[in-house]
Amino acid sequence: MMTEQPSNKALLVLPRLRVQNANAISSPLTWGFPAITAFTGLMTALERRLGPSAGIAFYSVGVVCHSFEPQVTRGGYTRSFHLTRNPLLHDGRTAAIVEEGRVHLDITLVFEVELTAALLGDTERAQLAVYIGDVIAGMRIAGGSVVPPLPGKVRNSPRPSIALVPGDPEGRRMEFRKLSRHWLPGFALVSRDDLLEARQAELQLTTPHATLLDAWIDLSRLNYRAIGDTVEPVEWVTDSRPGWIVPIPVGFVALSELHDPGAVAGARDPHVPFRFVESVYSMGQWISPHRLSNISDLVWEPDRNSASGLYRCINKYQAPSFAVSQATQIKESYYGNYRSQNRVRACIRAQAGPL
Amino acid sequence: MGNTDLQRVTELRALIAGFLKKRLDDKLDKLKDYDPKRAELHEQFIPANWLGDAARRVSQIQAVTHSLKPIHPDAKGTNLYSSPDVQPVLTVVGSHCLGSEFTSDVVGNAAALDVYKFLKLEHEGRSLLALSLARDADLSAALSSDAAQAQAWMAAFGSLPERQGRVASHTLAKQLYWPVGGDPHDDSDFHLLAPLYASSLAHRVYQTVQDDRFSEEAIAARQAKKEDKYSPRPVREYPDLAIQKLGGTKPQNISQLNSERRGNNLLLASLPPMWRSMDVKPLLGTDSMFPRFNRRPEVRRMVKALLAFLKSDPTRNLETRRRRAEWVDGIIDEFLQFRAELRPLSPGWSQATECHLSNPIKHWLDPKGVERALASAGLPLPTDTAERVSALFANWLNAQLRDPLPMGDPEFLEWRNRMQEQIKAEEREGRHDD
Repeated sequence: MMTEQPSNKALLVLPRLRVQNANAISSPLTWGFPAITAFTGLMTALERRLGPSAGIAFYSVGVVCHSFEPQVTRGGYTRSFHLTRNPLLHDGRTAAIVEEGRVHLDITLVFEVELTAALLGDTERAQLAVYIGDVIAGMRIAGGSVVPPLPGKVRNSPRPSIALVPGDPEGRRMEFRKLSRHWLPGFALVSRDDLLEARQAELQLTTPHATLLDAWIDLSRLNYRAIGDTVEPVEWVTDSRPGWIVPIPVGFVALSELHDPGAVAGARDPHVPFRFVESVYSMGQWISPHRLSNISDLVWEPDRNSASGLYRCINKYQAPSFAVSQATQIKESYYGNYRSQNRVRACIRAQAGPL
Repeated sequence: MGNTDLQRVTELRALIAGFLKKRLDDKLDKLKDYDPKRAELHEQFIPANWLGDAARRVSQIQAVTHSLKPIHPDAKGTNLYSSPDVQPVLTVVGSHCLGSEFTSDVVGNAAALDVYKFLKLEHEGRSLLALSLARDADLSAALSSDAAQAQAWMAAFGSLPERQGRVASHTLAKQLYWPVGGDPHDDSDFHLLAPLYASSLAHRVYQTVQDDRFSEEAIAARQAKKEDKYSPRPVREYPDLAIQKLGGTKPQNISQLNSERRGNNLLLASLPPMWRSMDVKPLLGTDSMFPRFNRRPEVRRMVKALLAFLKSDPTRNLETRRRRAEWVDGIIDEFLQFRAELRPLSPGWSQATECHLSNPIKHWLDPKGVERALASAGLPLPTDTAERVSALFANWLNAQLRDPLPMGDPEFLEWRNRMQEQIKAEEREGRHDD
């Protein structure tokens, strides 16, 4: 029997998932919200658990954070993690402590999916959404457990839903904007790769050898500078930047060649090629969901470049350099010509209004 | 040995002898004068003996840039020496950013770390390891007068960065599947990725952060800032920096660099803008929502930043308008978040007698409650809520900025219009509290 390929675009929304003890150490250099790779991994795991006969295919995932309770100490200049007391070893000695970071989360997950024709009806979609909600409740999210909402906390706790994506761009935009209003209060994580290079260029004005790493660290801290030099009291100002900008891990890059399946001892799967990698980093921004205009602004998709050995998650959000009216919004393709777009927008704005 | 430079040979010999003498003296200091071990130690530290032993023990350690043990101290498997200057250059941050200036790490038997310290000794800017790898004739002559013996030792020392044993991972190592084909249901459409800890990269980050926190220049700059004095060096702070301990009380069991970092792995904060608990209370006993709104740390931060920006009297150009608009949009976002946080309250909370808010604000924050109350009283729904709330918001923002900046009608109109645009868009796209 031929199974039909899912081909009708839809958005699966799993609202207000409470996750306990998710992994707060997102990479060897960052802590806080779990890495985005945890959510793309969840997407793959969910799709495989549902099986090919479920009639739903997953493409990308977006995450909105409503509440964030890290299990860390709060005093002093630095944070350290609340640790767990683990069972004793078989001979009664205390087990060595391997520090883990934990966080309780309240999140909404949004998946770009495609459905088979048999699932297009309202009832079928609603049933599937409820079923997926049940499946997710038995899975781990970023290493944490999914727990039911606290009674009385959220009035009419929202249910999982699958919304069909309208064919025309304007309808699609309206539908997304309508959905995204439901995600307040909360913030969505989007990519700000553009900031890295921009800051590197800025740093290179004074330090010619500044690297992307210098730019990344610089964007991850607060810098205070003294203005002028002769008259006291000297004024100190913060390098401020609008928007909630954070360093994030975005994926991995190869360190070794691709080892053949079974060639590496201790691999968890002898049937899959194996590769040693390291984490790679970029910048992200937490943004209020009503600022997003398209589903592609929100979602992340795992990607691989076999030439550079880069395995990373990609998000297509483009920071608006100007508040342009929707009519003049320029069709955006992935990454591409960010700077030239800004120039176009600048021109539009310059013509539109007096300074 | 016609091509050796006697001067260099002597210097290298002195370097090695100095290193051995210092280690020997350190050990002797810990012993009592009559301890029989003293003779044993003297024997052990005769250069020929020590070098021979070191050449044997060098196989117990490995120079690496990426190590496994930080992931789990009991994990056993391959560590890698992957020189950052030969890695492909990417548009994301990784070890490749280090270029040719990186510190390599050492893993393996901590008891053999003295061999690494020996190989790190520098002569004319090059380490003994580099000289061994280059099979330097002068080093050969300095190590031993027996050329064959010296060559064998140099070969052993040069093997430090080589991977030992077969390629292996471990159950306690991280291993994750990454989809590479189109079909996630197909078991063969995946790669297994095993992340290793980028020790050299972490070391650079550690050094940078430590320098910004504890170096004398940084402390002087911080002092200058405190006293409103000038300092050419900026003050740099890492808010919410977390410290993860690797290796507990024995950081040397993880690696040499981890030991140099005293087992502290620094983690930069990557937090969403939400720290407060989700407990929401209705706004009662107050005639304005703005005092509570103003208490939000993000609102305070952004108003302060906007004020500082405007006070710097930026030139009136496009860039200024853009920056200003970004700050104002951020404050508007907080306003909308503030309202959304009150949504879980049961509708009608604004109808309590203790609620002294003005009518438009009541309608905006508790639309269902107000509409229900009006309907049961047979009154029409207000149509100007968006305009009036936007005006109140604009008034509030002007008041925040008025001292010391002159804020007038143009600014009022600008804030009001931006806010109204958002509320109108919301109304167009349907209510979210259904």
